[in-house]
Amino acid sequence: MSALTGVGKLRRRDALALAGAAALAGTRSARAADTKLTIWTGYPEIQPVYQAVAAEYAKTHPGVTFDFFSTSLREAEQKLTAAVPTGTGPDIFDIGTNISINFIDNQLIEPNPPDIDAHLKSGVWGKFTVDFFTLDGKTYGLPFLEGSRASMYWNKAYFQEAGLSGPPATFPELIEAAKKLVKIDSQGRMTRSGISLRLSGQGSGIGEKFRYILEAAGGSLIEQKGPGKWHNGYDNQAGRDALGFYVDAVQTWHIDDPKVPHDADAFASGATAMLFRESWVIGEIQSKNPKLDYGVAPIPAWKAGMPRMMLLQPEGVYVNGQSQNKAAAWDFVKFLTNARGGMKLTEVTGWLSPRTDIDWKPLLAKTPQFEVFVAPPSDIKYYVEPVLTAFDEVESRLADRLTASYIDPSLKGNPDAIAARIHDMAQQTDKILKDAKLYG
Amino acid sequence: MKRFRRHAGLWVWCYAMLFPVLAIYAYVRIYPIGRSVQLSFFDWKLMARVRPFIGWDNYTRMLGDENFHIAIWNTFVYSLATVLLSTVIALPLAVLLARRGRASAVYQTIYFLPVITPLVPMSIAWKWIYDYNYGILNYALSFVGIPPIAWLTDPHIALWALVIMGVWKVLGYNLVIFLVGIRNIPAPYIEAASLDGASDLQTFWHVTMPLLRPIVLYVLVTSTINAFNVFTQVYVMTLGSQAAPGQAVRVLVYDIYQNAFQYFRMGYASAEAVTLTLIVLGFTLIQFRAFRQREAA
Repeated sequence: MSALTGVGKLRRRDALALAGAAALAGTRSARAADTKLTIWTGYPEIQPVYQAVAAEYAKTHPGVTFDFFSTSLREAEQKLTAAVPTGTGPDIFDIGTNISINFIDNQLIEPNPPDIDAHLKSGVWGKFTVDFFTLDGKTYGLPFLEGSRASMYWNKAYFQEAGLSGPPATFPELIEAAKKLVKIDSQGRMTRSGISLRLSGQGSGIGEKFRYILEAAGGSLIEQKGPGKWHNGYDNQAGRDALGFYVDAVQTWHIDDPKVPHDADAFASGATAMLFRESWVIGEIQSKNPKLDYGVAPIPAWKAGMPRMMLLQPEGVYVNGQSQNKAAAWDFVKFLTNARGGMKLTEVTGWLSPRTDIDWKPLLAKTPQFEVFVAPPSDIKYYVEPVLTAFDEVESRLADRLTASYIDPSLKGNPDAIAARIHDMAQQTDKILKDAKLYG
Repeated sequence: MKRFRRHAGLWVWCYAMLFPVLAIYAYVRIYPIGRSVQLSFFDWKLMARVRPFIGWDNYTRMLGDENFHIAIWNTFVYSLATVLLSTVIALPLAVLLARRGRASAVYQTIYFLPVITPLVPMSIAWKWIYDYNYGILNYALSFVGIPPIAWLTDPHIALWALVIMGVWKVLGYNLVIFLVGIRNIPAPYIEAASLDGASDLQTFWHVTMPLLRPIVLYVLVTSTINAFNVFTQVYVMTLGSQAAPGQAVRVLVYDIYQNAFQYFRMGYASAEAVTLTLIVLGFTLIQFRAFRQREAA
C-alpha cells in the first residue's frame, strides 16, 4: 500500500511537474507565437516598404506581428535618443551613423550576433559598406539604404530650349549653362533659377550641400589626422572657392535667389533647371510630375582634369540592445535587407539599397534616371560621411553661418573677406572637435 | 485652541484633498526646475555614461557662445516688440469694444480666434502667407503698389515676420482681459468724469487707465513670459529649404532645444534654461516694482 501510495505520490508529483512544464512550455510557445516587433523609421516614405516586407514575412512567421511608427528624420533621431537609453525604444530602427555611433559608444546597440556578422560579410555588400558598419573589429547593424550618392538632376527641355546639348561636365560649364537657363521677368524677378542651391533654413542639410561643392573643389569639411584625431579641411583655397561659388551664384551671376522656390519641389514643378540631390527625388518626380523630361548626371568636376566626386552615406537598420525580441528582430532585419527587400525599397521610395547583388536592369528599363546612382561612372571618386559624434554639430553650426554669408553683400567680389569668413568658420569647426576631444 | 480642534478635521480634509494636486504640481513643475538647475552644473550628455560635475563651466561657456548671444538679442527684440505692440493695439480696441452690442461680440470672437487655434498648423499657414511668390500678404500689398517682400528669407525682415505673427496670436487674449477690466470699472466713476465735463480721451487717461493698472500689469507680465518662451513658430518657419535663415530668427528656447535634442548637451541646455528663467523672473519683478512705485506715487 505504502509502495503503491508512494508510487501514487510520485506519479502525482510527476504529473504536477509535467503539468507545470507543459504550462510553462505553453506560455513560452504562446509568447514566441505572439511576438510583436516595433519598428521606428525617420523616413515616412519608407513605412509602406516596411509594411509590405512585414506582410510577406508574416506569411512564413504567422506568430509575428508588427507595430510601425514613422516621423521626420530629425524627430525620429530625437525620439530614439530619448527612448533607447531609457528602455522605451523600439525593437528595430533605422538611423544614420551620426546617431548610431552614440548608441554604440554607450552599448545601447550590441555587436551583431555571429550569423548576422557573417551575413554582413557574405559579399552582398561592398567592402566600403561593410567597413562603414564596423567599429574596432566588430560589426553593428545591417546596411539598409544609401543615404546620398547625390548627383545632378537636369531638365532636358530647358537645356534644349537654351541650346545646351547635355549636362555640364565641369563647374565653369555649369555656371555658363545656369546663366543661360535662368529666367528673369520684366520686373527683374527670377521666375526660374538656373540651379537650385540650398541657401536658407537651418540644420546640417545646408552644410551637407555645401560639401558637394567643397569636395569637388578639393576640400573637405573635416580631415582625419590620425586615429580619433580630426581637424577642419576647408580653411584653404577649396573652402574659399566653395564659398565664393555660392556668393557669386546669388550675388554676381544671379543664377539662384533665396526668394524663389527651391529643392526637389522646385525641380519637379519646373521652377529650376538643375539640382544636386539624392535618388529619392526620382520617387518625388514620379508622384508629383511624372511627365517631367529630365536626366541625372554626376555632379560636375570643379575644373577639367579634376575628379568628379560623390558622397557615400549608408544608413543602417539596427536592433535595440534592450529589445526583448532580439532573435526575432534580427531574423526580420535579415529578411528586410535581402535583395527583394532592397529592390522594393528603391522601386517604392527611390532610395537605393546598398546591396551589390541586385539586378537593376528591370528598374533601369523603366526609369533610366537611376543609372548614375546604381552604376556610377568608373571615374567617380567617393568621399564618406565621417562616423563621429560631433559631425552633426559641425555641419549644423557651419550651416548657421553659411546662410548669412551667401547673401552678405560685403563678400561680393571680396576674396579677402571670403577668406576671413572661411577662417572664422573653420575655427568654430575646430573648437567643436576640441570640445568633443576629437581634435588633433 | 478649542476652535482649532473644532476645525482640525476640516483642515486635514482640505489638505488631504489638495495633496494629490499639489503632489502632481510639484512633480511636473517644481521637480523639473530643480533638476534643470542641478543638471546645469554637470557635463550631462544624453547618452554618455560619465556625466562629470563641472561647476559653473556651462555658464561661463555661454558667455563666449555666439549662438547664445544671437538668441538672447533676438528673444529680447521679439519680446519687446510683441509685448508692446499687442498691448498698445489691444487696449484701444478693448475700449471700443467695451460698448455692449452684437457687433462687439462678433469682433471679440474674431479677435479671439487666433488664441484658440493650434500653433503648428497656424505657423505652417503663416509660412504660406509670407511666401515671396505665392503668399497672400505680398499679393495684398501689390494692390497698394508695394513690391513683394522676402518676409522669411530676408534675414533683416524674418524676425519681424515672427513679431507680426506673435502679435496676431496674442492680441485677442490681451483684448479680452482688458475688456473684462474695463467693464468692471464702476459706472459712477465714468459718470462723474462725464458730469465734470471730461472728454472721452480725458476719461480714458485719468479714470480708466489708473483703474486698469492691475490689469495692464497682468497683461504685461503674462505677455512677457509667453514672448520669452517663443519656440513653435520659429521651429516651423526654419524647416525646409524655403524657410527663414536659422540665425536670423534664433531665439533662446530654440537654442535650448537645439543644444538639448540635436547636440544632446543637456547640461548646457539646462544652464541656458536656468538663465532664461532668471531673465523672465527679473523682468516680471521689474514690472511689478514699476507698477507698485507708480501706485505709491
